[in-house]
Amino acid sequence: MRHSKRMGQVSAPGRKVQLATAAMLLVATTVAACGDGQDDGAKASAPKAPATIPELTKDPLTLSFIWFDWPPAHALEAFANAEYKKERPNATIKVNTVPNANWHDAMFTQFAARKTDFDIAILDSQHIGEAVTNGNILDITDFVKNNIDVEAYNPYLLAAYGQFPQAETGKRDENASLYGLPLLGDTWTMIYRKDLIGDKPPQTWDEMISVAERCQAEHPGVSGLAFHQANGSDAAAVTYNTVNGVYGGNLWDSKTRKIEGVLNDAAGHEAMDVLVNKMKPLTAKGSGNWFIDEVNAAVAQGKACIAFNWIAASGGLLDPKQSTLGTTREQILDKLGFATLPSQKTNLVPLGGMGMHVSAYSSTANQAEALNFMKWFERADIQKKWAAAGGVPSRTDALESPEFLNAGPFNQVYTDSVPRMRDMWNVPEYARLVDIENTNVNAALNGAKKPKDALDDIAKEQQRVLDSGSRKGGGGL
Amino acid sequence: MAFISPALLLLLAMSVFPLLWALYLSFTDYSATRGGPAHFIGFGNYTAILASAQVHQRALTTLIYVVGAVTLQTVLGFAIAYLISRRTHGRGLLTTLFLVPMMLSPVVVGLFWRFMLDAQFGVINSMLGSLGLGQVEWLTRQRTALISLIVVDTWQWTPFIMLIALAGLTAVPKYLYEAASIDRASEWFRFRTITLPLVWPLLLIAVLFRAIEAFRLFDLVYILTNGGPGVSTETLSFHVYKVAFLGFNTGTASAYGILMVLVVIVLTQIYLRYLNKLKEG
Repeated sequence: MRHSKRMGQVSAPGRKVQLATAAMLLVATTVAACGDGQDDGAKASAPKAPATIPELTKDPLTLSFIWFDWPPAHALEAFANAEYKKERPNATIKVNTVPNANWHDAMFTQFAARKTDFDIAILDSQHIGEAVTNGNILDITDFVKNNIDVEAYNPYLLAAYGQFPQAETGKRDENASLYGLPLLGDTWTMIYRKDLIGDKPPQTWDEMISVAERCQAEHPGVSGLAFHQANGSDAAAVTYNTVNGVYGGNLWDSKTRKIEGVLNDAAGHEAMDVLVNKMKPLTAKGSGNWFIDEVNAAVAQGKACIAFNWIAASGGLLDPKQSTLGTTREQILDKLGFATLPSQKTNLVPLGGMGMHVSAYSSTANQAEALNFMKWFERADIQKKWAAAGGVPSRTDALESPEFLNAGPFNQVYTDSVPRMRDMWNVPEYARLVDIENTNVNAALNGAKKPKDALDDIAKEQQRVLDSGSRKGGGGL
Repeated sequence: MAFISPALLLLLAMSVFPLLWALYLSFTDYSATRGGPAHFIGFGNYTAILASAQVHQRALTTLIYVVGAVTLQTVLGFAIAYLISRRTHGRGLLTTLFLVPMMLSPVVVGLFWRFMLDAQFGVINSMLGSLGLGQVEWLTRQRTALISLIVVDTWQWTPFIMLIALAGLTAVPKYLYEAASIDRASEWFRFRTITLPLVWPLLLIAVLFRAIEAFRLFDLVYILTNGGPGVSTETLSFHVYKVAFLGFNTGTASAYGILMVLVVIVLTQIYLRYLNKLKEG
């Protein structure tokens, strides 16, 4: 039976034309996309920033940062717009924020696209290796030599927030390249309830555990300890690394790039045992996914005897609107004390905080403005003003200034902690290393793995990541 | 041709090209952040993924999740639809009310369930406490975390099954029930021999859609458990995300994604053939 030809039905030659057009469109799209990809190889290492600041534009300009959403990000925007505008009225500072869990992805997916909507990336110290190796941020070594007084800093702070390859604890390689400058220093503080355990904070880790144990027993409904245990960001990993450091362990041997046998040595296993079998039982039920906000909430609601948190995130604890510990700041401070971490076999504390890094994909005018902002921000008078505005500076003179020490009850803790700091690895594989550690420590803390197995798995898996350079296929598994 | 070319161009640019590009990358060691040329490595990514114990673990988690969630949703969705279909008054209002969870964003659903399931401050444990029951660590224990994910997904997507089942139930010819009533057939007999056989093919299509959706679950895991405790609630999609964005192993992630698409296509084909046989029968 023959069917009459319907309207719109395409003849055989017509179909061929359609197919050919579709194929051409596909090829054109592919070629367009490949065009970007072929540029990739040309930028395999970090481009250099000029040694002197180029001429700045007089046109209105927005200098954009990217950070995660927390109080210091809002403080920075307010501070910079109030102070930097006095010198550069045409410049507006915008601090774009993303949730903490998306922070790394938000920056590095833009880096991957070779186009960023920010001029200054606020990188965690451990992100530097990944960004430098991929050529995402400017090499500012020459700029620093000409514009920054490096003697004004504790050398480790300059190294931690800018140097790659990484510095050993307390040492800075004067010949190494610099890719960033400090923005916000940070470390953990021990927050303790003076009304429950007394005015004097525990001095050793073992003493801290026994004090917390006694406090929990004496005060039903209040847990002995509160600390980060979540498997996102670097939460559980920093907790383990802190205990590991205090009990004399090491994260790796950076010279030989060995993790297996180093991390899971006797000291490492002792630290994991302390964390899981002695500290975890003193935490609140269901606290296995707690991070910064949850620990602060427990303290503010009077549900923890001793807690550990980043200093930069502790300001809210003194806000009577967010606390049940008092109706005024003074009342809250009658109950809350802040101290440096207890020591045990060593006195190491975790290095937190972040540096400023100039995006390699920002426009020339914005890169010049970014360098000018960094030079301005690292001035002695501005660092003190930043301290007074609630920030944690890095210059030694600012750290020891009354502006900083009187700005918050935990600021003395930071100044005292600077010589005790230890960071994680800042190698390009950082994101995977920290994920392995986070998930395994979180598993151990929540009963999904035995502590010994968790630590051995961390060491084995992390070593495999470091050794996987020559692997053919399956990278990332 | 000129009339459809914008749509064709959009389809090619947004759908066909990314798929073909991912297929190409899946045979390379390309990394989006490291740059440099992509080296051809044959089936290296595919064999590594198929042999990986990590992937096997995530596949098992995903399977348990898909079977658990879809089964629960099917039973509940059909039961609710059956009860609603028997009502003559207020059917429209009830249907609309039951559809509300489905209209919410999974991220919003995840966030408020995260608060509700919080062991310390959550309303669920508070209710259990008022009944004299102890606290449950919903999101931080291996078994309860996966159960929590299944329950939350069921809360949100049972209405979808209900909606399709309701469409099937209302389409059953009334004369069949009238004939059965004349023959004094019992309620159970009518359900077993009339209702279920006629609604079954439609229900199976709903199950297919839900199974595909559940197979690629990401958002609820990301918000509720972040894959934890440890990696015990990491699904395949969540694992692909980690491979793609933590180490930016674009080649491996592309191969992983292609394999997931292939699994869905193969299972769907088997399922559709069964459905066609059912119709022919």
